[in-house]
Amino acid sequence: MNRLLAAGLTVSALLVPLTARAQSTSALLDQGVRAYSVREYDGGAWLLRRALAVEGSLGLGPTDAARALIYLTAIEVARNQRDSALAAARRLVVLDPRYRPDERTFPPQVIAVYQEARRSAPAVSIRANGDTAIRPGAEAFVVRLGASTTPEVTASVNGTDGRIVRMLYTGTIRDTIEVRWNGLDASGNAPPDGRYAILVTPTARERRNSGGGDSWTLRLPLEVARPAVDTTPLPAAPPDSLFRPERGDTRGAMHALVPGVAAGLAIVVLPNLVASGERASSARLIVGGTVAIAGVAAFLSHHPGQRLPENTQYNRNLRENWRRNVAEISRRNADRLRQGKMIIRPGAPALVTETP
Amino acid sequence: MRTSIGVLVLSAVLLPAPARAQGEGGMQFTAGGTAAQQIVHSHVDPANDRFSGLVLGAEGGLVSNHFVVRLRYGEGRVNPQSGSTAAARDVVEGEALVGLRATPWLTLWVGPSARAYTTADGDQRWLVWSGRVTGRGTLLPGRMQTFVELWGTFSGNVGDPPLKASGRGANGGLELRLGESSSFWGRLGYRIESTHAEGLRETVESLTLSVMYGLPQ
Repeated sequence: MNRLLAAGLTVSALLVPLTARAQSTSALLDQGVRAYSVREYDGGAWLLRRALAVEGSLGLGPTDAARALIYLTAIEVARNQRDSALAAARRLVVLDPRYRPDERTFPPQVIAVYQEARRSAPAVSIRANGDTAIRPGAEAFVVRLGASTTPEVTASVNGTDGRIVRMLYTGTIRDTIEVRWNGLDASGNAPPDGRYAILVTPTARERRNSGGGDSWTLRLPLEVARPAVDTTPLPAAPPDSLFRPERGDTRGAMHALVPGVAAGLAIVVLPNLVASGERASSARLIVGGTVAIAGVAAFLSHHPGQRLPENTQYNRNLRENWRRNVAEISRRNADRLRQGKMIIRPGAPALVTETP
Repeated sequence: MRTSIGVLVLSAVLLPAPARAQGEGGMQFTAGGTAAQQIVHSHVDPANDRFSGLVLGAEGGLVSNHFVVRLRYGEGRVNPQSGSTAAARDVVEGEALVGLRATPWLTLWVGPSARAYTTADGDQRWLVWSGRVTGRGTLLPGRMQTFVELWGTFSGNVGDPPLKASGRGANGGLELRLGESSSFWGRLGYRIESTHAEGLRETVESLTLSVMYGLPQ
């Protein structure tokens, strides 16, 4: 019967790569636990590692992650893989320092490995309150660092490339401290969506004081996402057709000259047509001459190469209005983005130790 | 003359009203006062007399995208040239025109205009219906423009009993904005009108100076 069940689990384990994406991590966990119970250790280890590898919102919660790690520890003990068992147990200690394996469920060897992990693991822990939505700059994502000793550590938010996005804390952990991240990078801007991690490491002085022993890094993976915020598209720059020539040209000059001269001539000549035989007064010469002179003056003010201050001012106003609009809309968009929520999803913490 | 001054004062008082109406919709108002030095050539067969004098008046306009209305009123006194035996005349004149803006620079008008004066022999009233065409040209955009207007009569009459009258006229000048972004414009104009009937001919030349509120159309 056991062999039949084991065969089924093996087949399902082989099929897992095809269906893993569609399968929930809790289902993988259950299958891993069942594999342990029927002593199908290889398939069980694979299933549990698979479940633990998923991060973000699809990953295991803290309780399930602890369950997966203790069963993985037990499987590795059963497979005589002591180092792997110890590594899984250390991850469990980091995840939940207060975790205690059930002595009725697990054999004494598993309990012993876990106790050894507790003794050898750095006495620091990191906890987050699950998925959190904050307004960058106004609210904070809080993690709690705990330690049974008083290590001096640094905590920072880092990108996947290791670059420090924001330094969060440098100092001693006495019992527990809260570390807050307001969602902004060192320059005060919200970083782009993606994967980040809070890294807690001992300071150089702490490493020296501890006799140059194991160096360790406590890592809390974070997935940062921001729901799309409606923003107003920026207005396009005014097209060239809207700008006026800033220097006179022949065409503009003629447009100014022709109406003036034509109207002036008409005023002088028309009285002869309207009231032929009448001796018109010199008033027509005064007005007609004035209009013609105004036309010539307008021509000179538009002549090729002549600066046209009113057009320059008009163009300047056009550009400034556009720049003002762009600045105003950019400011509003920035306000909307700032007021938009940032969702931070913490994953399972992990401890990496390095032996010098 | 007192009436003229009254008209000018009234138009000055009413200016704030069009000021409020400007920009509230597609309709715009213009209003202004005019001073005209008139020279009148009067022929009453067989006599020829020449008069000159000052006529003060007011004008207003209502401007939409396609249609325009123009009202003008003036009155004053013209005196005979020295050596003439003719008596001075009190002059009243006015017009009411409706126009179609065929293009931004060309407007076609139609409407009545009248001119009346009092002589020792009694009143003489000229009333003509005319069609007009006005062309405008821009010298400096938003600052200076010119205009020329021509008109001819469809029908008209003068005197009592009425005699059939006809005539034609022209008007032209320069309009200049009074200040960089002012709503007030100044106008220097020359107008000549010649109307005639059996045994009568009146030719009136006017050199006008106007101040207007609103963009002239």
